[in-house]
Amino acid sequence: MNELVSVLGLASALFALAMWLLLPRGAAPGRSAGAVLMAVSLGLFASRFPGLGNWANTGVFYILAAVTVGAAVATVTFRKPVYSAIWFALSLLGTAGLLLFQGAQFLGVATIVVYAGAILVTFLFVLMLAQPEGQAYYDQISWGPKLAALTGALMVGVLTLAVAGVFLNPDAENHPQAPFTEAELKKEILADQHMAHLGAQLFSKQLVAVEVAGTLLLAALVGTVAIVSGMRKAEGGGPLDG
Amino acid sequence: MDEQALLESYLVVGALLFGIGLVGFCSRRNMIVMFLAAEMMLQGVSLSLVAWGRYHNNWGGQMLVIFILTVAACEAAIALAVVLSLFHKNGSLDIALWQNLREDNQPAHADRDADELRALPETQWPTLAPAGIEPDHDLDEVLHRTHI
Repeated sequence: MNELVSVLGLASALFALAMWLLLPRGAAPGRSAGAVLMAVSLGLFASRFPGLGNWANTGVFYILAAVTVGAAVATVTFRKPVYSAIWFALSLLGTAGLLLFQGAQFLGVATIVVYAGAILVTFLFVLMLAQPEGQAYYDQISWGPKLAALTGALMVGVLTLAVAGVFLNPDAENHPQAPFTEAELKKEILADQHMAHLGAQLFSKQLVAVEVAGTLLLAALVGTVAIVSGMRKAEGGGPLDG
Repeated sequence: MDEQALLESYLVVGALLFGIGLVGFCSRRNMIVMFLAAEMMLQGVSLSLVAWGRYHNNWGGQMLVIFILTVAACEAAIALAVVLSLFHKNGSLDIALWQNLREDNQPAHADRDADELRALPETQWPTLAPAGIEPDHDLDEVLHRTHI
């Protein structure tokens, strides 16, 4: 337990230092050192957790996780927002892969279609519309990078410690139940007809929630149109004023 | 596959994504990058929920993630509308320009990084040598988006 705390604490401290070095801080140097430290920190995190049974599963998982987390770090640390958006797309593809790896087929595909296909492309459109020429000064500096990196590292440290502590310490009162077997999973969450099961759940148990979500989408649509048309009116007339 | 190790690994990846998104949201000043970081935090939570759903052999986790997707789509639509209208007000995506929305008892943020900013290298853009007669300027075109 003590060893666990020290390794995860070291990993979190390295995470904070690496994040601070990587975040945009004007012309201050240290980005490559930050990248190396971040790789070491992520490696330390990975070293505290067991493999997934056989080497094929473990390898696929580690590759997907490395792509996801590495692209996520690049997203928040790159100076040019367009690069950030493209790194975020890579991170989303990694996430989709992780979801597929777990058997959540619909969610894996929906992440690609909805996030990478729709939301991210809209973000890119707005970036192209709104980004001034060249590099803006506010992309070169950050709000209190030290405090932000420290906050994030504390969050990661506490969460990973909680996860590892619960699983590694069988005496804890809230230790997890015995896992389901492969055969039991095949009957329910890993069943052959994934979409049929998912749809049956969604439109029986969660029917009210589906209706509420539909209303929410409608409200968001109306709200967006209201905001944009208000903006055009303030500018003195536009095509949306009717 | 070792179900317990699978859950553990996914929770760690989820925690890392959430933490990285938190750092990005707290520190970046470009409104669009801030929203990307917020979406990343949602991704971390989604991974954890799906992992718990598989561990408990239960569809609840995936259901919740479907609704997270819905809410994220709504959030992105409204956020982009707000960002665009803020951008039209002063021609910048810098969130620090809106700091007068802060609470009364909070001190104003002054750019203490001014020295860092001055130390930034000037970007050199390629130019063309002028040639020929200067054409008439269209006044509308000149006045369009002068604030950028």
